[in-house]
Amino acid sequence: MASTNEFGPDSGGRMKGITIVKPIVYGNVARYFDKKREEDGHTHQWTVYVKPYHNEEMSVYVKKVHFKLHESYNNPNRIVTKPPYELTETGWGEFEIVIKIYFHDPNERPVTIYHVLKLFQSTPEIQLGKESLVSEFYEEIVFQDPTALMQHLLNASRPMTLGVWRHNTDFEAKKESTMKDILEARNKIRLEVIDLKEKLTLAKETIAKFKEEIAKISKAGGSLSVA
Amino acid sequence: MADVRDILDIEVPTTELTKESIIGSDKKNRKRYDYNKVPKRPEGMHREVFALLCKDNNDVPPLFPTDTAKGYKQVRAKLGMKKVRPWKWTPFTNPARTDGAVFHHWRRVADAGKEYPFAKFNKKVPIPSYTNAEYVQHLVTNGWSRAETDHLFDLCRRFDLRFIIIKDRWDRTRFLARSVEDLKERYYQVCAALTKAKSHSDKVYIFDAEHEKRRKEQLKKLFERTPEQVDEEQTLLAELRKIEQRKKERDRKTQDLQKLITAADHQADPRKSERKSSKKSSSSSRNRPNKTDTSHAVESAGIKFPDFKNSGVTLRSQRIKLPSSLGQKKMKGIEQMLNELNLELNPPPTEQICQQFNELRSDIVLHYELRSALSTCDYELQSLRHQYEALAPGKTLTIPAALLPKTEPEIKADIIDVVGSPSMPSITH
Repeated sequence: MASTNEFGPDSGGRMKGITIVKPIVYGNVARYFDKKREEDGHTHQWTVYVKPYHNEEMSVYVKKVHFKLHESYNNPNRIVTKPPYELTETGWGEFEIVIKIYFHDPNERPVTIYHVLKLFQSTPEIQLGKESLVSEFYEEIVFQDPTALMQHLLNASRPMTLGVWRHNTDFEAKKESTMKDILEARNKIRLEVIDLKEKLTLAKETIAKFKEEIAKISKAGGSLSVA
Repeated sequence: MADVRDILDIEVPTTELTKESIIGSDKKNRKRYDYNKVPKRPEGMHREVFALLCKDNNDVPPLFPTDTAKGYKQVRAKLGMKKVRPWKWTPFTNPARTDGAVFHHWRRVADAGKEYPFAKFNKKVPIPSYTNAEYVQHLVTNGWSRAETDHLFDLCRRFDLRFIIIKDRWDRTRFLARSVEDLKERYYQVCAALTKAKSHSDKVYIFDAEHEKRRKEQLKKLFERTPEQVDEEQTLLAELRKIEQRKKERDRKTQDLQKLITAADHQADPRKSERKSSKKSSSSSRNRPNKTDTSHAVESAGIKFPDFKNSGVTLRSQRIKLPSSLGQKKMKGIEQMLNELNLELNPPPTEQICQQFNELRSDIVLHYELRSALSTCDYELQSLRHQYEALAPGKTLTIPAALLPKTEPEIKADIIDVVGSPSMPSITH
């Protein structure tokens, strides 16, 4: 186990029971040109990106990131092998970008993210091009039972900058508020479910009672007609 | 078959009566149909194709090749492989005949001198006979005179127990007209009495005349139905099926209702579900160290989210994808409810959020199902009330206020308080 072969691609064995989670942020920023560009009709410059959520070097475990653009772009398959994993382009329309993240160990299959490029928003500041639009999302890559090589790489990542690593969106706050909202919603639904259940039980009993009444009356009616 | 065994007093069938045992065909002929137990791969058939027919475990293949010797090609019939066996126009006598008449037929030269092959089918049924003393001792009964019994046995001998003919030739001028069952009953009664007297054995043929009469009567009735009666029976059967189906449907509905109520009970008591899920996670994923993994199994009537236990890389957001088996209607319902609750359809997927979000949507599905079940019940209540009003004019049934579509808030609160009191503390904590 101590040999260097241990982490080779053929070492094959997976580290059972180990789960490593790498949070990431993906999305795009976009800026309006103020006017339509004469030569190609483009109106926005945008940048689509994948970056680590924490301050760490992704290239340690990520081999490359493949951005698949709309087919109307020149060679729509763009591959970025070094961080920052981002791509800047200009355009006039929104479309779905397929982002595929490849890992250094070929035994780990690449993961695919679908991001709808966002260019337009109704906030006036952005419309005027004073402020750029941000549409980004939090995601987690879950490595279940990683290969030995992958586990080694995932644990070896180092900080990317010495400065503060920050995102356009405050995801911590968002996570917290989402969690709170979900829990509140669960409570609300739970109460309603209890209410519905009581009603349903009552309804069931009432139906049985009604049926009994009908049976009674129809029997009485039958004997009456005979008499 | 049971009837036959009763009559013959047989426990197990002994030797099987087959065509071969009667005619006795030659062995050579039979061998050709005797396929080998382990079939061989026919020439020209690919191994893979043959493997589909026949696996290694020596099973007989599901389909037997009928013509294996020559592959797939249609072969012409092969004639003239053997020498022609000559036939000859020969005279023969039938030993079954007493007059010794000579007839002619075509016969193989090789078979010359053998007995007429169909002679063996000329079986004579042994009819018992009785002496005067035996008759007096064993066979005297009410309703049958000696002369009549003699006449019956005479006819039995003449017509080899063909009772239909015996009945036809029955001497109606001297004796009473008898039915086939009467004749049979008397015959077997006499036989049984004689066998018992002579050999002291209990192995006798029993004829149940009453049963036979009833059977024939039923057949006659069945045969004599008019087309109208047949039609009526058909429609009645169809009606019956419909009624049974409706009953089954109703049962299923009430069962579903009960299931929903139990699911709601289960969901309302969070401690119960937690205990269950923690037990599950401790047993199924004990080798996983992360402690947040308390419950990701969504049970009850909600959504069955797939488990992510396979090795490999996945995105966390995959875990909050609704399974497509859920159906469009429910998905729409969930979406609508989430919108009403002001919740995002795709929240940031941390493990905790994923779990809670999935459970929330499971609850929403349960909520949705309860609601639709309730509306079905409402409808049923209304229709039952109408039914009652039609049956008893001037009277009506009152639907409880809580079940009326628009209830005043105070009444509603009242009812929740009254009925829901035992489960209330568990919700608040």
